[in-house]
Amino acid sequence: MTAHPDSRTPRWAALAALVTGSLVLSACSSSGSGSSSGEGGSPKPGGTLTFAVGSDAGCVDPQQVGSNDTIYSLRQVVDSLTDQDPKTGKIVPWLAKSWDISSDTTTFTFHLRSGVTFSDGTPLTAQVVKDNFDAVPKLGALGTLAQGYLSGVESTTAVDPLTVRVRFQQPNAQFLQATATHSLGIESSASVHRSPQEKCSKGVVGSGPFVLSAYVQNQSITLAKRAEYAWGSSLWTKQGEAYLDKLVFKVVPEAGVRTGSLQSGQVDAIGSVGRANEAALKGGAVNLQARANPGVVFNLGLNNSRPLFKDAKVRQAILFAIDRQQIVDAVFPTGTEPATSILAHTTPDYAYLGSDLAFDAAKAKSLLDAAGWKAGSDGVRVKDGKKLSLTVKWFANAATNQPALELIQQQLKAVGVEVVLKQLQIAQFSPTLQSGDFDAVWGNVTRADPDILRSSYSTRLANFYHLPAGPLDTALTRQAATTDAAKRKQLVTQAQQLIVKNAYVVPVVELQTQLGVAKKVHNLDFEASSRIQLHDTWIG
Amino acid sequence: MRLYVVKRLAQALGVLWAAYTVSFLVLDYLPGDPVSAMAGAGADTGQVDPAQLAALRHEYGFDKPILAQYADYLGRAVRGDFGDSVSTGRPVTATLADALPQTLQLTGAALLLAVFLGGGLAVLATYTTRRWLRQLLLSLPPLGVSVPTFWVGLVLVELFSFRTRLFPAFGNDGLRGLVLPAVTLAVPTGALVAQVLAKSLFTALDQAYVETARAKGAGRLRIRLRHALRNASLPALTVVGLLAGQLIAGSVVVETVFSRDGLGRVTAAAVTVQDIPLVQGVVVFGALIFVAANLIVDLVYPLLDPRIVVAASRKVRPA
Amino acid sequence: MSRTLADGATAGTAGTAGTAEAVGPVGAVEAAAGLARPVEPGIDPGPANAGRGVGPRRFLLFLLRRPGLLASVLVLVLVVLAAFWPGLFTSQDPLHGVPAENFRSPGGGHWFGTDELGRDVFSRVVHGAQLSLKATLIAVGFAFVVGGLIGLVAGFVGRWVEDVLMRFVDVLLSIPSLFLSLALVTALGYGTVKVAVAVGIASVAGFARVTRAEVLRVRQAVFVEASRSCGARWYSVLGRHVLPNAAGPVIVLATLEFGAAILAVSSLSFLGYGAPPPAPEWGTLISDGRNYLANAWWLTALPGLAIAATGLATNRIARALDGEWSRQR
Repeated sequence: MTAHPDSRTPRWAALAALVTGSLVLSACSSSGSGSSSGEGGSPKPGGTLTFAVGSDAGCVDPQQVGSNDTIYSLRQVVDSLTDQDPKTGKIVPWLAKSWDISSDTTTFTFHLRSGVTFSDGTPLTAQVVKDNFDAVPKLGALGTLAQGYLSGVESTTAVDPLTVRVRFQQPNAQFLQATATHSLGIESSASVHRSPQEKCSKGVVGSGPFVLSAYVQNQSITLAKRAEYAWGSSLWTKQGEAYLDKLVFKVVPEAGVRTGSLQSGQVDAIGSVGRANEAALKGGAVNLQARANPGVVFNLGLNNSRPLFKDAKVRQAILFAIDRQQIVDAVFPTGTEPATSILAHTTPDYAYLGSDLAFDAAKAKSLLDAAGWKAGSDGVRVKDGKKLSLTVKWFANAATNQPALELIQQQLKAVGVEVVLKQLQIAQFSPTLQSGDFDAVWGNVTRADPDILRSSYSTRLANFYHLPAGPLDTALTRQAATTDAAKRKQLVTQAQQLIVKNAYVVPVVELQTQLGVAKKVHNLDFEASSRIQLHDTWIG
Repeated sequence: MRLYVVKRLAQALGVLWAAYTVSFLVLDYLPGDPVSAMAGAGADTGQVDPAQLAALRHEYGFDKPILAQYADYLGRAVRGDFGDSVSTGRPVTATLADALPQTLQLTGAALLLAVFLGGGLAVLATYTTRRWLRQLLLSLPPLGVSVPTFWVGLVLVELFSFRTRLFPAFGNDGLRGLVLPAVTLAVPTGALVAQVLAKSLFTALDQAYVETARAKGAGRLRIRLRHALRNASLPALTVVGLLAGQLIAGSVVVETVFSRDGLGRVTAAAVTVQDIPLVQGVVVFGALIFVAANLIVDLVYPLLDPRIVVAASRKVRPA
Repeated sequence: MSRTLADGATAGTAGTAGTAEAVGPVGAVEAAAGLARPVEPGIDPGPANAGRGVGPRRFLLFLLRRPGLLASVLVLVLVVLAAFWPGLFTSQDPLHGVPAENFRSPGGGHWFGTDELGRDVFSRVVHGAQLSLKATLIAVGFAFVVGGLIGLVAGFVGRWVEDVLMRFVDVLLSIPSLFLSLALVTALGYGTVKVAVAVGIASVAGFARVTRAEVLRVRQAVFVEASRSCGARWYSVLGRHVLPNAAGPVIVLATLEFGAAILAVSSLSFLGYGAPPPAPEWGTLISDGRNYLANAWWLTALPGLAIAATGLATNRIARALDGEWSRQR
């Protein structure tokens, strides 16, 4: 590879584009009772943190897993090239001590920290990073997120042992933030060369502060501290190895049992606390920590290739028939926002479209009337002898999913739409999307960059929801390519409007991650994507 | 005697073979296409294209005629190979072996509780002279078999875990964690023990030797514990196989309620993801436990009651 | 004494001396089901004639002297009414809630409180009776018809047919019934009816055994021998003598199995293999309530009481049918 003229450009030039937009993130941690950092005496090393999560993704490869409950643990096993400040959204050094970005954002050059080793003893080199980035696109549907971040990659080159260069066919402004995610966490060379299935079931070797020591599917993930760890993210307060000796993530599917176990002290922290269990936890020896997740909000991902949803009126009717505030008030943690766009309000370049997402049952009914769906005898509308019925496939990766969906079911029934709920295993999520065998899927995607819209809805990528090609594609492609912050914002806004107005998918509610953490646990902090980092966490 | 043992062994093996066959028919033959079911359900197989599907079908031998498949599978099963779990890729036997100790702990503790509580209830019911107490005691076993196990578990969790914080609500942590699940599982089991034992105790107390003992001046309790109970436990032994089956099956629900690792939870998860080889392994294992328990009882019984062998050699297969 | 006995213990375990009969999986199950009655030719089956030629006043007296039994009959009548005419008990929509009124504890407006979406739990339990009872009836009906047929053919035809059928039944008995149901659910898929069929198949064996035993017993009875020797055709013997006389114990078993099937069906729906939400199957109600165990005990406790009451009631009635009523005559 010849030297690039553009590698002379100021290092942070392109980043500025991201940072200005990302400042919105500072509002993130305003809700909830905040972080527990800095309370109660000086940090003590040692101890075991027991964390009860609601589900298991059935896979322990961070590059493949997209489910928060499992990311909580896997995030601790791998380090990323960069880290993202949860307060400012700024990208800061981690495994890469610095980087250069070409002015057209097609070429990213990372300068790696020296002396980093994986837990199998092998060193981190540019070649290993290259191996990772070469392998990720081959994950295909198994690693949708990671693959999306690297889409359009032309080549990855090990310039020298500690310098790696990633070049894209088109400008790719989102890539720097992508390197901060768990999905592009760096795995050892040996791990990368294993099959995706093997990585899933046996786990991977990373360079992170904890090492996977046991995985029992649907039951638990156990991590042990890595003693010689010394290359923490520049955001962390503690140098060197982590405080905690051991992390145990137990799968406890019932929110009520998780809550009770935290109350009785059987576990130290729990994930996915819904509104119902807030009262039980408040006031005790427990802190509730909440943070809004950026990215695509929880939505009914309609399959636009289904005859039913080819009619925009039907899609829009569903969009208007949903009373988002009612769902938020009944089911979701205090402070959760109803969807006011397809992006959560904490995502950079989010645009408020709340008036397009206002509940209007009368409008929904008239749209359905206009589309030819007439009220049937049992309250469900019919057209040409067919019932207006859709099956929503969903996954038990959050306690709030089932009650939220049952409420949506109730709300849609009120306008004559029958909803059948079908629960699937989390591991079936990507196969379901990939096969296209669904009417609608309930889910969200967390990412602190609006490019998540392109990964999710561009017809040039996976296009799981079978959107028709059109102006949305142009906007999504152009926002990824532009380095002009104002221009990008305008394009992202346009994309959000196109998605919401056409109701390709039906945004419902933002995800606000709410954890219950025993007061004796300190510095259990959210990272920028509202997952957790446990390097600085201690029990005292 | 030897003939009796050999015949009972052969019979047990025959039942196991047949149980395997039934599970094969149900699981591998009944679904139109087990491979599609597996591919759709496989936890980490992800997207499966037709070529992969064909490869899977070949790997599992589903492209062969059903009888060849059956022979192939049976041959492997005899050697203890039930294939690999579809969702984890681990051998079925290893998965079961890993989960078994936890379940044995649970079922063992539950059995102990059941025998002591159920037996105690039966003895007390025959001992007491108070009619109301006897009625009360005897009304407990039907209650025990009628309440849903999972509900008992949840009520115990609510009371002893969340309200009074005496015992953990879930998990496999030590003896304290064993208490609530074991009690839950002991409820239906103990009820069964009490029913059977009370019945045979009442019968035994009508027997002549009890009269003799009574005439000799033995105390009420002594008669019950030394004489009647000994004879009454013989017929009670016959339900051991049933108890074993009930305990193993009960562990599915109890381990789910208490999020306890073990065979039951493996089973529930396997059914949920349609992990056919694993479910088949569990079914055959269940039959094995049941058959083994009965076999042991049958082999021990003649030692306790010599009349059996005579009866058995006359009529090997009780019908 | 004998009365107490019938009250508490399972009726008719294999006797102490005749232990060989009770050894093995076969005897064990019968002992537990409480139905291994001695096969004695020539004795008129007790419960078979139960209810025939007895005045209603007598029946009422019989009930009144047993408050527990009376309560059981009442409970069962209520459950059946709820299953077929839920409107008698509640006018609230079991599927439509008022989210603003969620998690109300039991009280005047909502007897069983409200759930996470403000739905009336009492109404959900009442309407749930329909699903759960339907599943139970399908399960018992299936087992009754299929098992009864197998037992009838085996007992009546005899010879190798009997051998083949009864060995098959032995095998079914050797697989713990929950595991057999789970295997069937794995193969068939989820849903109320599928779960019911799975439970039904798993209970076929019990019916086959009892039916066969009864048919054998009645066949050898004096009056049957007599009518055969008089040259009656086989079907007339079957229809006029064997069936009516063998039916009693099978019906008792059906009642007992009904209680067991309610438990089995609700266990499977508790494990998540029943109807999808928002269907208020009893097991599903409890399973969903687990998410709110920490803040709303009534979501699990009260539906559980419904299952327990129904199971207990059928159990009590089955014992009455089996023992007391026939003795009473």
